[in-house]
Amino acid sequence: MTHRTSEERTAWVALAAAPGVGPVTFQRFLVLHGSARAALDAVGAMSHRSADRTLASELGMRPRPGLAASLRRAAADPESPLRRVADLGGWVLTPLDAAFPPKLQALEEPPLVIYGLGSPLSLQASRSVAVVGTRRATGSGRMLASRIGARLAQAGAIVVSGLAVGIDAAAHAGTLDAGGQTIAVVGSGLDDPGPRAHRRLMSAIAAHGAVITELAPGVAPSRGTFPRRNRIISALAAGTIVVEAPARSGALITARHALEQGRPLLVAPGRPLDPAVAGCLALLRETPARPLVGLDEMLVDLALEDPAPSSGPSARLSAMAALGMLAPSQRAVAEALLDGPQTVDAIVRRSGQATGVVAAALTLLQLRGWASALGPMQLAAGPLLTQPEAGSTGSAPSETRPPGSSRSRSRSSGSWSMGRRPGTGPSG
Amino acid sequence: MVGGGPQLRPGLVTLAHLGVLFLDELAEFDRDVLDALRQPLEDGSVEIVRAHGSVHYPARLQLVAAMNPCRCGWHGDVQRACRCRSGEAERYMRRVSGPLVDRIDLRVVMPRLEPGALVAPVAPEPSAVVAGRVAAAWRVEMERNGGRPNALLRGRQLQRACAMDRAARDALVEIARRLDLTARSVHRTMRVARTIADLRGRAAVSPEDILAAASLRDRSMEVPLAA
Repeated sequence: MTHRTSEERTAWVALAAAPGVGPVTFQRFLVLHGSARAALDAVGAMSHRSADRTLASELGMRPRPGLAASLRRAAADPESPLRRVADLGGWVLTPLDAAFPPKLQALEEPPLVIYGLGSPLSLQASRSVAVVGTRRATGSGRMLASRIGARLAQAGAIVVSGLAVGIDAAAHAGTLDAGGQTIAVVGSGLDDPGPRAHRRLMSAIAAHGAVITELAPGVAPSRGTFPRRNRIISALAAGTIVVEAPARSGALITARHALEQGRPLLVAPGRPLDPAVAGCLALLRETPARPLVGLDEMLVDLALEDPAPSSGPSARLSAMAALGMLAPSQRAVAEALLDGPQTVDAIVRRSGQATGVVAAALTLLQLRGWASALGPMQLAAGPLLTQPEAGSTGSAPSETRPPGSSRSRSRSSGSWSMGRRPGTGPSG
Repeated sequence: MVGGGPQLRPGLVTLAHLGVLFLDELAEFDRDVLDALRQPLEDGSVEIVRAHGSVHYPARLQLVAAMNPCRCGWHGDVQRACRCRSGEAERYMRRVSGPLVDRIDLRVVMPRLEPGALVAPVAPEPSAVVAGRVAAAWRVEMERNGGRPNALLRGRQLQRACAMDRAARDALVEIARRLDLTARSVHRTMRVARTIADLRGRAAVSPEDILAAASLRDRSMEVPLAA
């Protein structure tokens, strides 16, 4: 990059990040001055007195108090937003960069800047699916979102969502648990990661995908920021899935964007008259959205079923092979989990074992990475079960190696097992 | 709760000495009140300090507590959505401090029962049978521990009572490492495992007993849920 373009890029980010400058103001500045650099220089040269009014008449907008001061600060230290992102360990992409995703450039209102943590390459993926839904999710809605995320991960697709509590978080977590990549598009600056409970999830996403936003560091989330970021979610994805949405859910905005952008939209149907899915039902009735009827059908409808590097049957096969290495009581529990996330009660019913035995087996399975908790009393198959290479002991890190029955009496730590000997376990 | 006032009156924890103190809606108690429970739960006595001196009251009690997962009560339910605002459920859980949760050995999540189960309950094990098993285990542990219940075992006494084979010890070490158990939690897990083994009528503590004890330390109260 030449000195000149690098200077323009810095000014571009500084102008876009200046409080009070939205996409419209930014465009007018560009038209007026020809470049962001020239715009900042012009403001720096402006007399302080009545600068807000001068600016307003130049731009043809109503005067906005404080705008001139904000721009003057940006002109005085244009490196500031780039520095803040670098301090967070992040990166910045602008339309001036070759790596700026064409999918975003094609938007009616492309983001002026993308701030990100993690891998900028993940934004280029063509196999990508948005999974969105309500914050106020039911347990079964979250389980479905997590299964969808896991299945998409197995099909080699990147899952895009919004890092909100509820459906979004479950979709991200399900994808990560299955060893997949996921992108979180957040509605605030990168230094304001949203729900405190999501800090860990956010750093896991940054390590296996990316966390991105069009908002500069220091921008707090507000009413308008979430709907706007939804257009980025649908634009990054080749298709969108709405898992659970009541009437007036933000997920419906993402769905509308997807339809406008001409991308396939799948909607999980629910029971008629159930307010938790009223938005989903309305989408199915009033738009060309297709119903999500199963995970295999989902892959077909999203045109993801073919070159799936490690999809369903083979992953399941290796998982079954891996099950051979578990003690019987654990195997029954792990097998139940292979059919998708479920409650402890459901596992107890299926496995036909005492609750205490199932609970102990689940604890062991969780410790060893065979199961992971989705919420109180809800469990899903863990990374070892869902990752395609789960079957080969060689690929499992030795620390998390599942106990082989032949090894159960060996002396090394981590090799103890929990076989169910006759007469073991309380009757109730 | 712990006692006090001008007459240095004993509080609920002392009135519950050698008995059960049941606190319903635990998260609705004031934080100060809850944190005052930590000393009696650890030491079995409570010290009340006033300007003119201090007194010790006995407070060896069995704490039983119940709480909702959040204010609206639906957090984590499979069918219904929680109506609390974002982050509120986590805040509600955190009202009970970590150190207090650490001192609660048996934590059980109670999901909503399906209506069918309420109308036609499966025949549960009769209470008399359970009571018999508890009494037998009690006799065994008092005899082995020289008149002390497992809950009061400390230090070397605990190590001696919890005779573990290699596999059980490995299990405990792995669980402690993976779950980031505090030293107190490790000892508490050992006591619960010892009791489970006693209830199962076995002399040695097995890996199953350790796992069963660990599974009763449900961690959803400690780890804020992602979703």
